[in-house]
Amino acid sequence: MKPSHTLPWWYGGSLVVALFTLLPLYIMVKSSVSPPHDIFTPNPTFGVSALTDAHWKAVLASETLWPPLGKSLAVATWTMLAAIGVAAPAAYVISRLPWPWKYGVLLGLFASRMVPEVGIALPIAVRFLQWGLVDSQLGLVLAHLIKTLPFVAWILVGSFEAIPVAVEEAAEVDGCDRLGVLTRVVFPMALPGVAVAGLFAWLESWNEFTYALYLSLIDNTLPLQIYYYITRGSWFDSATYATILTVPVIVVTACLQRYLKAGYLAGAVKE
Amino acid sequence: MPRILKRYALDGLMLLPLCLFLLAFTALPLLSCVVLSFTEAGSQLFPSWDNYRALFQDSQFLLALRNTLWLTGLGVSLQLLVGLGVAMILHNLVLGRGLVRSIVLIPLGVPTIVAGVMFTYLFGSAGYLNELLSRLGVITTPINWTQGDWLSLGVLLVADLWKVTPLVTLILLAGLETIPDAALEAAAVDGATGWRRFWYITLPLLRPALTMALILRAIDAFRIFELPLILTGKSTPVLGTLAYSEFYEYDNPFGSAAAATLLMGLIAACLMTYLGLVARRDVEA
Amino acid sequence: MHRAVILLLGLFIGCEQAPEPSHNELTVMMGLAEVEWRVMREQVFPPFEHQHQVRLRGVQAEAPDAAKKLVAMHRAKRMEVDLITQDVLQLAPLVNAEVMEELSAYREAIPATALPHLIEVGTFDGTVFFMPYRPNVQIAYYNEEKFRAYELHPPQTWPELLAVAQRFHAAEGVGRVLVQGTLTPNTTTQVIEFIWAAGGDPLVLNDQGSVEALTFLQQLAPYLSPETRRADWNTVNAFLATESVYLARNWPFGIHLLVQEAGKTQIKAHHGWRGPVREAHVLGGEVIGIPKGARQRELALEFMQYLMSKPVQETLVSSLGWPSFRSDAYGSIQAWQEPYFAAVQEALTQAYPRPQLSYWGQLDRALTGAFREIVYEGQPVQATLDRYHWELQQGRQHNRR
Repeated sequence: MKPSHTLPWWYGGSLVVALFTLLPLYIMVKSSVSPPHDIFTPNPTFGVSALTDAHWKAVLASETLWPPLGKSLAVATWTMLAAIGVAAPAAYVISRLPWPWKYGVLLGLFASRMVPEVGIALPIAVRFLQWGLVDSQLGLVLAHLIKTLPFVAWILVGSFEAIPVAVEEAAEVDGCDRLGVLTRVVFPMALPGVAVAGLFAWLESWNEFTYALYLSLIDNTLPLQIYYYITRGSWFDSATYATILTVPVIVVTACLQRYLKAGYLAGAVKE
Repeated sequence: MPRILKRYALDGLMLLPLCLFLLAFTALPLLSCVVLSFTEAGSQLFPSWDNYRALFQDSQFLLALRNTLWLTGLGVSLQLLVGLGVAMILHNLVLGRGLVRSIVLIPLGVPTIVAGVMFTYLFGSAGYLNELLSRLGVITTPINWTQGDWLSLGVLLVADLWKVTPLVTLILLAGLETIPDAALEAAAVDGATGWRRFWYITLPLLRPALTMALILRAIDAFRIFELPLILTGKSTPVLGTLAYSEFYEYDNPFGSAAAATLLMGLIAACLMTYLGLVARRDVEA
Repeated sequence: MHRAVILLLGLFIGCEQAPEPSHNELTVMMGLAEVEWRVMREQVFPPFEHQHQVRLRGVQAEAPDAAKKLVAMHRAKRMEVDLITQDVLQLAPLVNAEVMEELSAYREAIPATALPHLIEVGTFDGTVFFMPYRPNVQIAYYNEEKFRAYELHPPQTWPELLAVAQRFHAAEGVGRVLVQGTLTPNTTTQVIEFIWAAGGDPLVLNDQGSVEALTFLQQLAPYLSPETRRADWNTVNAFLATESVYLARNWPFGIHLLVQEAGKTQIKAHHGWRGPVREAHVLGGEVIGIPKGARQRELALEFMQYLMSKPVQETLVSSLGWPSFRSDAYGSIQAWQEPYFAAVQEALTQAYPRPQLSYWGQLDRALTGAFREIVYEGQPVQATLDRYHWELQQGRQHNRR
């Protein structure tokens, strides 16, 4: 048991941390529901004196919310599915590799993270323009996979390592062929890890900005739409859209945080 | 014989899509970018140092380089410190741990662009921070936070800190939870104070987690992009935004490729240096 | 469970299909803010839609993106856009790629009351590619309350401008006058205006007029608002609205945003100030074009003439604060708008178009670089301009690809 006289420090600290974390969010949400004269003043107020739903109504009624929302949703979901589909089998193979090979492959996956997006996006944007993939969902999914595939593979290697080879061998002894072992024993056991990795992939694609910036000319994703409002000065629109973008994220993160247990990351830490 | 072949064929098939994708969409564009950076703009001559020469003569580029280095160095150090602090708080909290953890993890999910928007409200000339400071009587004329120089760097540091620290906290928390309570209790019994326990037991055992957090953050910190784009614009360029504006505003993909290649070289160099130092220390130890 | 997954997937696949335009749909591409789109959709589009039994589909694209997109669609032989309104500074890429239809036959459709410069801007080598739509010119916004409090008048000449800036700075400890100094094309426009006002040529950059202009800017620098570094055509409105700036030059669309939306009736406008030689404004704005291969070509031509017609132009003037290319379209403005439009029309008489160049990137870089070094870093004017003049010449050579 910790000595009681340090307890207030921990709680005080956690209060400061929580405030610092929540203040910017509060201001953004407040801006989206404040009337203009509360914002266009050299002395903005901290409390909420007047509320207005005008901005929210305008945004929800305008036609311009649904296409970016739909595109972001579709791209994020496709990215998640593709990332799992491609990375999970590969991660399984990598987890069973002998150590020198495994180290090399993991290092390679890690190294791919080093590449700056502005560097890769450039030739890809030029090429996609020629192939007509600009503004398409397919093009953006491919670009998002550049970031998500190595990341998902990396997390899943840890998941698969947690499944002992003995389990596979036992299933083989019981008469399953290799494919059966994989589909009926191994992958179901790895499902929690796969689900977590998949949700991370979804989040990363939902929030992604740089590739969307290079690869979209007229069909925006939600983050790009917010950037459009920032550069085109609809002060309230940007606050409202930003809130819309953030709400599913907070919900997903809240669900995810239960799974961010020591186990998943400790495996990576022990590398 | 056929069974072994079938076994490895299946494995190969499972590994193949990932390898093909990485080849086509990471390795090839990377090569393309590097080749582009060595291609001269007008005559398409290859190889040529022209783009790099132009970059190093551009004072905006040197400024961007300086800013990137400062942001990474100071930023990562700050994030590790603060992340460690928050992790310690979470670790030692008994009541309400779940709630605080959920709150602390929120910035992880918030899109960076939204974080940029929020901080423009805070750090604008007519923003909330100036308002708070003038109400407290600290300042009389509003401070211009984003005009360039150290003040803007500070703003970017704070914004990045807000957004990114949860990741560091997570990693360090995982590391903290692997430290056996027994070791700490034994030290307490032996009369070690809280500080000594922390310094001589917790920190060394936390080394792998710290290393992982350091490497992960260093790689990402060099590539900072959205926050400078929105918060400070041209007044505080970084290598990422420089590469983007070369391509988008000045229609110069060659210069953009050169800036991006340099950025990557920077990341690789730092990583190698760090790993080299660590390896040497391990050998000596 | 599996069925639900398949259903969801089907939904997303469905979402991906590019919407095939129904027989009576006209696709128009414009670069507008959300509030401007609202006016379009509520006031401008419906009468045309009713009259021609057609649905108008608006696509938002910023000028450089629009150019790239049209060229890409043209190359792929799939032109999905029927009509475009494009910024006058981004016309060259479209003409060079031969994407636009020739509209010389429609010269008679241009009314006699049209602004001549805006017609010239759409004509390349004698062929008309673009029809005039709306000119744009920057006016000087000022906070009347603050000016009156210090007993100042909006400046009409450079010395007066300097005096006003100094007065505000001395009284409040921080600059309240700004120039759009984000080192983007916004800065280029304002620097060009200063250079022209001193009789210089921005393409030469180290002639006497340019030196005079940049010297003046250097003198003004210490008294400029610190927001200058972040001021572009968008953020200037916010600075005026939150009163961190009392005098700034910007496009007239801010009239509506500031007075109507933000309720800042104390912000007035006048046409601007003279330099040593003359008063000069850069003529911006938009023109209408029809891309080759447009599916609804006939309808697009009708819409083009509709946009140029007097009633529509009057709507654009009174609802959006856009200057009209027709001098007879100011009939239905509201009383509160009159002084602003007086300022706009006065400024339009002194507005000149920027030359269409293939090396605009180099020009932007040279002008913003010179501004940065001279105004922000205080470098010697003549030497810096000489150096950028030389760099500009180099850039022109390089651009001959």
